[in-house]
Amino acid sequence: MSEYTLELEQVTKQLGGKNVVDGLSFRVKKGEIFGLLGPNGAGKTTTIRMIVGLISITSGEIKINGLNIQEHYEKAMEHVGAIVENPQMYNYLTGYKNLMQYARMAPNITKERINEVVALVKLEDAIHEKVKTYSLGMRQRLGVAQALLHQPSLLILDEPTNGLDPQGIYDLRTYLRRLTNKGVSVVVSSHLLSEMQLMCDRVAIIQRGKLIRIDDVITMDNEKEVKVHFQVDDVQKAFQLIKGSHPELVIEKDGNELIVEKAVKEDVRDMNRMLVMADISVYGIEWKTKTLEERFLEMTGKGGRSDEILVSRS
Amino acid sequence: MKFLSLVHNEWIKIVNRPRTWIFIILPILLLLGVGIYTKTHIDPAEQKHWREGLAAQVKEDKKQLEESEENDDPEEIIAMQERDIKEKEYALKHNVPPEKMTTWKFMKNMSWISMLLGLFVIIVASDIVSSEFARGTIKMLLIRPYSRWKILLSKLVTTLIFSFALWIGFVAASWLIGGVLFGFGGFDQPYLVDNGHAIYEKLISTYIFENIGLHLIEFTVLVVLAFLISTIFYSNAIAIGVSMLVMLAGNTILLFIADKPWAKYTLFANLDLTQFIDKQETLVEGLTLPFSLTVLAIYAIVMLAITFAIFQKRDVNS
Repeated sequence: MSEYTLELEQVTKQLGGKNVVDGLSFRVKKGEIFGLLGPNGAGKTTTIRMIVGLISITSGEIKINGLNIQEHYEKAMEHVGAIVENPQMYNYLTGYKNLMQYARMAPNITKERINEVVALVKLEDAIHEKVKTYSLGMRQRLGVAQALLHQPSLLILDEPTNGLDPQGIYDLRTYLRRLTNKGVSVVVSSHLLSEMQLMCDRVAIIQRGKLIRIDDVITMDNEKEVKVHFQVDDVQKAFQLIKGSHPELVIEKDGNELIVEKAVKEDVRDMNRMLVMADISVYGIEWKTKTLEERFLEMTGKGGRSDEILVSRS
Repeated sequence: MKFLSLVHNEWIKIVNRPRTWIFIILPILLLLGVGIYTKTHIDPAEQKHWREGLAAQVKEDKKQLEESEENDDPEEIIAMQERDIKEKEYALKHNVPPEKMTTWKFMKNMSWISMLLGLFVIIVASDIVSSEFARGTIKMLLIRPYSRWKILLSKLVTTLIFSFALWIGFVAASWLIGGVLFGFGGFDQPYLVDNGHAIYEKLISTYIFENIGLHLIEFTVLVVLAFLISTIFYSNAIAIGVSMLVMLAGNTILLFIADKPWAKYTLFANLDLTQFIDKQETLVEGLTLPFSLTVLAIYAIVMLAITFAIFQKRDVNS
């Protein structure tokens, strides 16, 4: 058994003479949630389609649980559950009959298992209704249910939060975390960047079919690009004070806030003391790091600075 | 066992569509309608004295024939009238009552509904692949641990099972309805065949059984054709259109190409297998049942090979 659930090695997809996916390589470890992030048309969905065998691979190699999917497709797919783009269902069948379709295609799925999955996505009340009466969110949840039905070791979710309400998103996140604790690997793509940040362990940023970089999400302590926001009453005075004592740091003024980049803990302690001594009122000090979104936009060349999020420093 | 569950799935997808029930109920309604109409319009006295009635008809027909000859009507019409008279005289001479209604005769009369069933078969076959693409469910289906050819094969097998069930079910229903209305006798009832050279008697039941078998083959070819087209174009409209054209307009197209030496190798020329039942003259010369079966088999194999090759390779982007 490979320690990686999913391995992509120099995977390329050529369409109309253009490399839609270009030499993409990454590995997804057992029990991790791995995000694919990129602007529309970056090749996320194409990558996912290649992983599940919906489209052919021009060159390169994809392995699931160590099995090359081109050589051992049936065996490799046995432990894969997926939603590719929106989950499409048979509208004229009930939710339950839809699930039965997929249950029959996997080995040993009991009635209990089906009911368990239905309960998990909270569709008990509607499961015997025809799918054409379902809302987008209900369809999405039914899609999640069919992907989980056969207890896959690799779960691939393309935009899974589409159409889910905040409670549904929270539930999904919690459930995914519980799955990974059992050793399941999850690959998620999403356009909700902050959502990715909450959901994923690692995120691969893809642009024009190429891997830009892979980031660990929970590495705030190692984060180099932290900014410290001081909320003060006299910004001008504070700016000059700190500029004088720490000329090596980049300092900005923003409304009633003074933003200091790349400060370390000790600096902040000293600055605070200095400000108080100079009779400047300090209402708050916040550590902020660049969000994934900001980094993503920076890297994919879209520019622009969006909201930064609060980081708790332990 | 794994493959059977695919067939089971496809079967559920067919029988849960409301239109499938129309395909089943409509032919039954037609049988009932025509059956009851026939039943209420048969004059039993006329049936008893069929010889007198027929003899009178022959007299009438002969008079008409003379008129036609005087008027210099086209040869075909005169030939048809002559054949008609010959048939009736044969019936009188050999005591073959042509009008007696039994369930077997009813079945023979109603066998034109097979055209309608052919259409239903084409619709189901065209839809079973292309609707998955139209709905987008194909991507839910193809990410299962099954090779694509198995999925396609399960669809083919299920469509054939449905087609055969529809056809056999129809035959059984027409036997039952005919039996209830006209009595279950008539298994050894003869009818007259005129193959252009001679007139001879044949059992209606023999006709029925030959008709059943030949339609199974015809339907199989129609299914394969609809499969091919819906797989190439992913469009059930195109598949239904082309297959219907082949089925319904085939003979018309054939009229234009009948004298070409390659005409007998076309699909149109060979698709109507029932023309061999009464050994009637075929539109294209030189056709025989074994020849047509061979041509159809070759067409079917080639079409299947193309269908599976395309389905196996094509990228699914819907």
